[in-house]
Amino acid sequence: MLGKRASANERRTEYLAFMLAGDTYAVRISVVGEILRPPPITEVPRAPSPIIGVVSVRGKLVTVMDLRRRFALVEAPIDAKTRILLVEIGEGEYVGLLVDEVLSVYRLADSEIEPASVLGGEQPAYLLGVGRPKEQKELVLVLLDLRGAIAS
Amino acid sequence: MVDTKAEGERAREEFLSETQELVDGLGRDVLALDELSKAGRSDPELINDVFRAVHTLKGLSGLFGAAMMSGLSHELEEVLDDLRLGRIDLTQRVLDSVFRAVELYGLLLAAERGSGADCSAQVEALLVSLGEVSHRGRAGGASPVAQYELDPGLLGVLTEYEEHRLRTNIQNGMSLYKMRVQFPLATIDSALDELKAAARPHGEIITYLPTGGGTDTDAIELEILIASKEAVDVLRRELTGSRVSIDEVPRRASTRTSSPPAMIPRLGALQPESFGQESRTQVLGEIPRAVVSPSLLPPVGGGEISLRSVSQTVRVDIRKLDHLMNVVGELAIVRTELMAVADRLRGRSEMRPLMQELLRLHRSFERHLGQMQGGILEVRMVPLGQAFEKLARVVRQLSREHDKQVNLVITGAETELDKLIVEELSDPLMHMIRNALDHGIENRDERLRAGKPAVGTIALNAFQKGNQVLLEVEDDGRGIDPKMLAETAVKRGLLTADEARDLPAREALALVFRPGFTTRDEATDFSGRGVGMDVVKTNIGKLGGVVEISSDVGIGTKVTITLPITLAIISVLFVEVAGRTYAIPLASVEEAIIYDAAATRTFEGRHVMTVRGVTLPICNLARVFGHTTSSPPPHGFVVVTSVGNRKLGFVVDGLIGQQDIVIKALGRTLRGTKGFAGATELGDQRVALVLDVGALLDEALAGHEGRPTDQPGALSS
Repeated sequence: MLGKRASANERRTEYLAFMLAGDTYAVRISVVGEILRPPPITEVPRAPSPIIGVVSVRGKLVTVMDLRRRFALVEAPIDAKTRILLVEIGEGEYVGLLVDEVLSVYRLADSEIEPASVLGGEQPAYLLGVGRPKEQKELVLVLLDLRGAIAS
Repeated sequence: MVDTKAEGERAREEFLSETQELVDGLGRDVLALDELSKAGRSDPELINDVFRAVHTLKGLSGLFGAAMMSGLSHELEEVLDDLRLGRIDLTQRVLDSVFRAVELYGLLLAAERGSGADCSAQVEALLVSLGEVSHRGRAGGASPVAQYELDPGLLGVLTEYEEHRLRTNIQNGMSLYKMRVQFPLATIDSALDELKAAARPHGEIITYLPTGGGTDTDAIELEILIASKEAVDVLRRELTGSRVSIDEVPRRASTRTSSPPAMIPRLGALQPESFGQESRTQVLGEIPRAVVSPSLLPPVGGGEISLRSVSQTVRVDIRKLDHLMNVVGELAIVRTELMAVADRLRGRSEMRPLMQELLRLHRSFERHLGQMQGGILEVRMVPLGQAFEKLARVVRQLSREHDKQVNLVITGAETELDKLIVEELSDPLMHMIRNALDHGIENRDERLRAGKPAVGTIALNAFQKGNQVLLEVEDDGRGIDPKMLAETAVKRGLLTADEARDLPAREALALVFRPGFTTRDEATDFSGRGVGMDVVKTNIGKLGGVVEISSDVGIGTKVTITLPITLAIISVLFVEVAGRTYAIPLASVEEAIIYDAAATRTFEGRHVMTVRGVTLPICNLARVFGHTTSSPPPHGFVVVTSVGNRKLGFVVDGLIGQQDIVIKALGRTLRGTKGFAGATELGDQRVALVLDVGALLDEALAGHEGRPTDQPGALSS
């Protein structure tokens, strides 16, 4: 967690923003262990749909999930901007999440976060809210609880 | 801040692993004591060892704030002390209590790790019975002090003499009273003397302590414990004064104590010698969590952790071994690439001497690499005896529960297996032994009627066969009736009546491995999870092994587990399927032959190929894995695999070659995906999946092969 900034009295949390099928999402940076360029991904036949395969990261096997599949979004082929976010899901085990592009880190104050209900109707529990950073007024960050999104 | 947290976690991990080791050793020693006791002998050295282990556990758990473990260790230590000093004898009851304590240590450790239910009720119950078998307990029945609702903090600071007086008074039938008096600080000495004089004709003052309360800053409040045979009203009348209140100390409703009485003198050793309010309320139920740093030496109270003897063994974090194994795996890849370079030089005659030099170095590298690989593997190997010991305790407990006499005979405990495998074996073995005891072994009368010896036998055998290890659980019980199994299957809708009738005995026996198949109410297993033989089979399968069962009605049952020696390194055959590389464990491969379209047919929905006159079921991996290929595949190969006595041929496009690989487990998220035992790294970060031959065999032979085909002989079938 960040220490208090001299200018703001509110608690601020760091979020890592990324693109998925044209939309911007963000997750707390504390859950992201590492950001990688995708190494060769080996397909695992008959694995559940969001899982696109496994990769080796410095000798460790990491299962890779395509968040676009998970959220039923339009998929695009892997290109130079595609990245894998390594997220710890407990007991030292990591899962890799494929995203289209990694943007930057935003420090959101509680006042910059709106509840998920602004997106309309019933939203799944892993949608934590919507971030509207003051420094980029047009930006809408859908805040995700990654571990919740993975546990399916 | 992160550093302190990490340090704290490391220290906690160390505590947990050291405690585990102590508890394991304790279990072994107690078993040994039991054996000796049965033979009518005793070993004072052994008792001493047990005592010292518990003493160390007491110190450790106290330091790390494991309150229940610490409390249990206190009480247990007292009993063991009595034992080694000859104050009490090693009776069956004492042994049972100690066994139970070992069991509870295990449960408490599990709870500390976060996986385990609350066992405080069981701990309390054991504390009471330990109190009863101890010398102190036997001398005066259940400790009389326990019967009163006395503030544990107060009890904690009693001197031995005061405790003795307290007990004596209770035994003499006195009532206990708590008196709170406020004294002005200036005159406290004389005032206290006056009070004592006034109280003396009515009873005995056991002890007094400051409460930390008091309405003035120059007054001090004392709490005085008095034993008297007079009623509270009398005392109130006689011992008056301003700001004096007298209350009777009530007796407890039940004899169950929440803070074990026999701990009283020990508390004095652990607690700092101050009378402050804070320290008094700290009882063994709430030992403050020590802030741990690596430099913190053994606890307050001075030298309570004994220095353990220096042993020749080292405790190793298995993750370090995994890392080393990875490095070896990388080196193996380098070795292969070296070979490839040497090959490239082969064609050039002017490079010949250089090539030969390279080949020589390569051979040497390969030899040493192999030795290192072997060495690391050996480090991971532990004797099966580790898993067997726990089982011996379970058998002992279960046979008493069920009132069946059973002898557990173990052979091959020194057989070694990868540590991870041995750990995973505990539950399945436990389950199998439970089965043998519950359903297999008959009770005494039934056995005698059948002409069997009254004491049943469960044999646990382990031995190595090639690069596999076999584990047998054999009992001389009533055996399994295949007909009954078939009937139950029909009742549960798993089979039709016709199928049941035609089922050969061997396949009927295999019915026990079907999910949802239990002939009796299988309650939850030892660790609280519901299990059936199907779970055992799946878990063994995950270890790369198989389970088989054979039985003769009236004679006995034998369950055999076959396991690969190590999880870490296996030999595989690399194959190509639709442009992708897969690895098939060589242990399951019998041979690889050329696919002969002419010799294939479809037979009752299954695809088969005739090989040397014998029909072999085959299955097309490309199809099973859903790899569609646009161009018609070339003629391929069939890799004939076998598991147990079943065979299946995998149709593949190409054979790449044999290799030893480091196999890695797929993560939790992929656990449900059937057909893969793990994966391995090829060069340049690529990964190949390793097939789980057993699972694929099951699938294929059960007829779930994917899309059906029409044309016999076409490869796409």
